[in-house]
Amino acid sequence: MEKDSLIFKINEGIHDMCYIWAREMKSTFKDEGVFIFFIFVPLLYPLLYSWIYSSEVVRDVPVAIVDMSHSDQSRTFIRHYDASPDVKVAYLCNSLDEGKALIGKQLVKGIIYIPSDFETNINKHQQTTIGVYCDMSIMLYYKGIYQSATGVVGEMNSEIQIAQSNNFTERDDEVTIKPLDFAEIPIFNSTGGYADFLIPGVLMLILHQTLLLGIGLGAGTARENNRYRDLVPVSRHYNGLFRIVLGKSLCYFMIYIIMAAYIMMVIPKIFGFVQIAQMKELIGLMVPFILATIFFGMMLSCVIRYRENVILLVVFTSVPFLFLSGISWPQSNMPGAWRAIACIFPSTFGIRGFVRLNTMGATLPDIQQEYQALWGQVIVYFFATCAVYRYQIIHARHHAIERLSMMKNKATEAKAKSKE
Amino acid sequence: MNILKNIFKVAIRECGNIRSNPIYLFCMIIFPIVVVFFFTSLMGEGQPTNMPVGVVDLDNTTMTREMVRKLDAFQTTKVVAHYPNLNEARNAIQHNDIYAFIYFPQNTTSDLLASRQPKISFYYSYASITSGALLFRDLKTISSLGSAAIGAAKLSALGKTSDEIKTFLQPITLDLHPINNPEINYNVYLTTTLTPACLLLFIFLITAYSIGTELKFNRSKEWMKTADGNIVVAIVGKILPQTVIWLTIVYSFLFYIFYGLGFPHAGGIGSILFLGFISVIAAQGFGIFIFGLMPSLRMSMCICSLWAVLGYSVMGATYPLSAMHPSIQAMAQLFPMRHYFMIYQICVFNGYSFFDAWFNIAALIVFSILPLLVLYRIKKAMFEYIYIP
Repeated sequence: MEKDSLIFKINEGIHDMCYIWAREMKSTFKDEGVFIFFIFVPLLYPLLYSWIYSSEVVRDVPVAIVDMSHSDQSRTFIRHYDASPDVKVAYLCNSLDEGKALIGKQLVKGIIYIPSDFETNINKHQQTTIGVYCDMSIMLYYKGIYQSATGVVGEMNSEIQIAQSNNFTERDDEVTIKPLDFAEIPIFNSTGGYADFLIPGVLMLILHQTLLLGIGLGAGTARENNRYRDLVPVSRHYNGLFRIVLGKSLCYFMIYIIMAAYIMMVIPKIFGFVQIAQMKELIGLMVPFILATIFFGMMLSCVIRYRENVILLVVFTSVPFLFLSGISWPQSNMPGAWRAIACIFPSTFGIRGFVRLNTMGATLPDIQQEYQALWGQVIVYFFATCAVYRYQIIHARHHAIERLSMMKNKATEAKAKSKE
Repeated sequence: MNILKNIFKVAIRECGNIRSNPIYLFCMIIFPIVVVFFFTSLMGEGQPTNMPVGVVDLDNTTMTREMVRKLDAFQTTKVVAHYPNLNEARNAIQHNDIYAFIYFPQNTTSDLLASRQPKISFYYSYASITSGALLFRDLKTISSLGSAAIGAAKLSALGKTSDEIKTFLQPITLDLHPINNPEINYNVYLTTTLTPACLLLFIFLITAYSIGTELKFNRSKEWMKTADGNIVVAIVGKILPQTVIWLTIVYSFLFYIFYGLGFPHAGGIGSILFLGFISVIAAQGFGIFIFGLMPSLRMSMCICSLWAVLGYSVMGATYPLSAMHPSIQAMAQLFPMRHYFMIYQICVFNGYSFFDAWFNIAALIVFSILPLLVLYRIKKAMFEYIYIP
C-alpha cells in the first residue's frame, strides 16, 4: 500500500483511534479520581438519591389544635382532621401561645385555632372561621396542613348545607352541594410523588456532572503527567486530530451508554418510580445527550491546568443546572437571560426531554425541539473540541521542536568543544 | 507573642497564595456572587404567575366562556390556547405548550340549568410539583366558583339576603396565616436555603484545596517552616485570611437578602450575624477534618464535593427530613448544611430563641473543633507525604 494513499491514512487513523481508545480506557480504571466519577458515583449516587426521596409523600405532619369551642362540631372537625392522611393532631393546646412554643421546639408544624363561638355560629346560621397558622419554612408541610383543612371544612360545609335544605332524595342532596360537579385529574405523576418529580432530573444531572468531572480530571492528569504540561502527548499514535478526539470520546461513550442504561432502566425499576418511556425513545434522547456532554466536557477540559481545579469548577453548578432545566421553577417564568444561558448546557435539554419521555409519556416527535437542540450541541461542541485540540497539538509540537533544537544545539556545542 | 507573630507570618504568606492563584478569586468571590445572583433573579417573581393553561370547551356557551375568562384573570394562570378535544390538549402538555387544561363537555350549561349535575374536569401535571400545585389551586377554585354561582342565583331568587347566601354557601371558612411568608414567596423559601448550601460547598472545597495544594506544589515544608513547625499555628494562620473572606461573602449575602431584598427575618440582626459566623467556621472545620482524614488533595476534595451535594437533599429544606428513612434522618446530622437550615428556620426565619436550636448550634460547634482530632495527621502528612499525580 502507498504511504500517501487515502486508504492507508484512514487505516492508520482507525488503528490509532483504537489505540487511544484503549489507552483512555486503561487510564479510567487506573486513575482513582476518574474511576470515582466515571464508575463509582454513577452507580452509587442514583441509589442514594432514590433512597432519600423514596417515601415520595409527606404524611402525618404534626399539628397542634387550639380548641376554644369544646363542642360537638369542633370535635368532629378535629377527628376528621386527624384522620386525614397528610396531618396528625399531635397536641391539644389551650392558647395560641402554647402552640407557638411547640412550633419553636419543632414538635408541630402548624396550629389550628377553633374559636369559642364556633358551634354557636353554625347553629345561628352565621359564618364562622377556623384559623390555620402554618410554619412556612418547608412548603410541603404548609401544603399538607392547609389542603387537609380545606378538605375537612369542605366536607363539613356540605353536611351543614344538606341539613339546612329541605331535600327529599339523596340525588337532591348531591345537586344542592355541587350543582356543577368536577373531577380533579393529575394527568402525569398522578400520586404527586416527590421522587417521581425530582429523581428523573437528578439522574440526568448525575450523568452530566460525572462526565464533566471525569473528563476534566482525565485531562488534568494527562497534563500533569506530561513533561511540558501539554494535554496531547507527542507520540506516533497521537498524530492527527480526529483520531484523538474520536478515540477519547469513544471510550467515554462506551462507559456512559452502559451507565445511562443502568440509570434509565434499572433504578426506576428498583424503586418503582414512574416510567412510561419506551426503549426506542430513550435511545433517541440519550445518544445525543451523552455525545453532547462528552464534547462539551472535552472542550472545557482544555482549560483545566491542574486536575483538582475541575472539581471546583463543576460541582457547584449542579443545583443551578437543575433549576435551569425548569424542573422546579417553571420554564415559562424564567427570566429571558437565564433561559438563553440554559441553552449552552446539554443538561438543560437532557433533563427536559427525559422528564417528558419518562414521566409524561411523550414520544420522540413531542420532544423534537429538545433532541434537535442536543444534536446541534453535538455538532457545535464537536468542532469546538477539534479546534481546541488542534491548538493543543500545535502547542505540543512546538514544545517538542523547541526541545529538539535545544538538544541539537547542545550536541553541536559539545562537538565543537571536543574538537578544540 | 512569638506564636502570634508566626500566625501573622503564615497569614501573610497565605494572602500571597490567594492573590497569585486565580482559582481563589473565582471560587471565593466571583462564583459565589454568580450563584447568589442566579437564585435571587431566577425566582425574582416570588411566585410563578401567568403559567400557560389550555381550554377544551365543547359546550361553548356564555357561562363556560365566562368561567374561562375568570380563570384567565387569576394571577397564576394564563389561558393561552383552545383545543378541539382532550387528546390534543394532552399532547400539548406533553409538548410543553401548556401545564394544565380545563375541560367542559357538551351540554354543561343546559344540564346545569336543568339540575342534572354536569361534570367538568381539570387536568394538571405533577411532573413539576411547583406549577402542578399552584395550578391545581386555581383550577379547583374556578370549578367550585361555578357551583357557588348557581347556588347564589337560586338562593337570591328565593329572596335570601347576600349575607344569608354567603353563610349557606360557606358555613365554615378558613383564615390562613402563612407565618412570616404571607405571599408564599418561593424566592424567600428556596434562596435562603439553597444558596447558603452552595456557599458552604465552596468553603468545604477551598479549605481542603488550600491545604492540599501545599503538598501538590511542594510547598508543605516551607509552610511548616514559616509556622516554626507548629501545626496549630500553621493551620490557624492559613485559615484566618480565608475566614475573613468567607465571612465577608456570607455576610454580604445575608445582608443582601434580608435587608436588600427584604426577606423575612423575625430573629433580627443578632441571629443573622451569629448564623453566618458559626456556619463559616463549622464548614472550614469540616474541610480541614476531611483533609486530615485523607491527606490527599484529590481524595479530600472528592469527599467534600460528594458530601456537599448530598447536603442539598438531606438538609431537608425542599423535602422534609422527617419524611425520609430514619437512618437518613440520623445521618443528616453529619451535614453542616442541615444544621445551618435548622438554625436559620428556628432562629432567623421564625425568630425563636437560640435555646430552641441548641442541638444544631452544638453540632456546628463540634464541626468547628473537629480539626483538633486530625492535627497530628496533617502535620505528619506535611512532612512525609509526597504528591503523586
